[in-house]
Amino acid sequence: MTSEESTEATAPTATLDGTIWAEVDRALSGITATAERGVLDVIVHVPPAEIVRALKALKADATLNFDYLRSLTAVDNEDEGIDVVYHLYSTTAKHNLTVKATLPTDNLHIDTATVVWRAANWLERETAEMFGVRFTGHPDPRTLLMPEDMDDTFPLRKDHPLAEIEILQGEGMGYSDEEDQ
Amino acid sequence: MVTESAHEFETQDLLLNVGPQHPSTHGVFRMVMQVDGEVVRDIIPYIGYLHRGAEKLCETMDYRQGIGFMDRTEYLAAMNAELSYVMAVEKLAELEVPDRAQWIRMILVELNRLASHLMFMGAFGIDVGVFGTPFIYAWREREAIIDLFEEISGDRMMYAYLRPGGLAWDVPTNFVARTREVLTAVRQGIADFDGLLTKNEIFVARTQGIGYISAADAIDFGMSGPSIRASGVPLDVRREEPYLKYDEIKWDVITEQDGDVYARYLCRLGEMHESVKIVEQCLERLQPGAIMPEKMPRMLRTPPGEVYIRTEAPRGEFGVYMVSKGGNRPYRLKVRSACLSNLQALKHMSVGQYVADAIIVLGSIDIVLSEVDR
Repeated sequence: MTSEESTEATAPTATLDGTIWAEVDRALSGITATAERGVLDVIVHVPPAEIVRALKALKADATLNFDYLRSLTAVDNEDEGIDVVYHLYSTTAKHNLTVKATLPTDNLHIDTATVVWRAANWLERETAEMFGVRFTGHPDPRTLLMPEDMDDTFPLRKDHPLAEIEILQGEGMGYSDEEDQ
Repeated sequence: MVTESAHEFETQDLLLNVGPQHPSTHGVFRMVMQVDGEVVRDIIPYIGYLHRGAEKLCETMDYRQGIGFMDRTEYLAAMNAELSYVMAVEKLAELEVPDRAQWIRMILVELNRLASHLMFMGAFGIDVGVFGTPFIYAWREREAIIDLFEEISGDRMMYAYLRPGGLAWDVPTNFVARTREVLTAVRQGIADFDGLLTKNEIFVARTQGIGYISAADAIDFGMSGPSIRASGVPLDVRREEPYLKYDEIKWDVITEQDGDVYARYLCRLGEMHESVKIVEQCLERLQPGAIMPEKMPRMLRTPPGEVYIRTEAPRGEFGVYMVSKGGNRPYRLKVRSACLSNLQALKHMSVGQYVADAIIVLGSIDIVLSEVDR
């Protein structure tokens, strides 16, 4: 996998032979998507503005038929923005795809995927309260796991403190990154 | 004289609060039901009472320490939860798991599936109104499995027995004989259940045709596990994307076509027979050998990358999405909870049913709130 990743920058399609990327690329015509090969599934990067169009196209395509949303979440990459990650599956064609949209930290708005799968409803509510991502057009934008009066603190962001445990880990318990080199 | 008008017979809907502290909600789950007489018109579920931030905590711990949090996430099927987690670490760190460890893992997760389904049978009996008897029967056999797990791992529920790369230590020398003993007991237990509930007239009358969901809706809601297979969708990660050694042995994916509460019960009952079959075959294939790869670093580190691992837990697809940026701990860990996705369909399945049936519908998707809230 390591050697494949290093050649990726120069020839991105070379490592995607034999994957479903060719069909995905055809289904996403008109959308500037790029792909890379993940450990198990192909990862497709889509501009956030076109996410719902892309997801709808992936679901509607007859051969791809991504009718099942396995998981929806986000990853806080600090200065590089927040990735919203969709894990799709097709119950008929039995293949997987990971779709990613990177939101810049100053504009955390993205359209809701509830219009594509109802499964996205609670997953988006959780992602919204944990990362501060705003899902435009969500039918029920309440908090899911957090109290209703939690505003503007987003627990799964990297800048959210986990105070006591971090102190213990850094100094007392010897599990900091620096020590075990 | 009283004048009759439509207005006179107008009734108001009542808001009925169920939970969070109530035995029928299987934990701290609350729902507000809008009822018109006995009929449910709307349901608003509230979850999050058990949210502990397990994902965030795992991001501050090294890979080995995270195993304990997986136990506490899915405490009724802790082996299955651990399996997803350690498989994610193994994929990222490119570790090869020895054969013996894989067979033992398979035996353990299937036994845990049996224990979890037994728990369902007992608790579901209480939901339906069969107090006592099925519950005690279920716990008798579940106890046998839990005793075996205690002999292996030292703990009854929070095993922390799987490790990235293999197992914490080898199983006791009498493991095969003991497991066969447990299987004999469990097989008898399943037969008892079959006799007590499956053809029981009252049980069938209370569950058949209740809480229907179609295959298309179940897929759209992202349901998984027995809850979706009862609607006729043969979605089982063990068959569709085989992990461990599931492609080397013979077993069937159990599906039912009716999509109601009774079908979900039958599906679990059938799965228990399959699990016994799987464990028996694994015991025959189990050979002596290593349980960990030869070269294991003292502190496990992973190269940058990400992986979404899914395995079939008793309640459905237990997914672990792990992002690594190098180092000895995950940069981001997301647990895909099967119960959370199944629970989303509760409103769809319950609206239009009687209040007492809505409780059975909730019971039939077999929620573990600890996994829903994480």
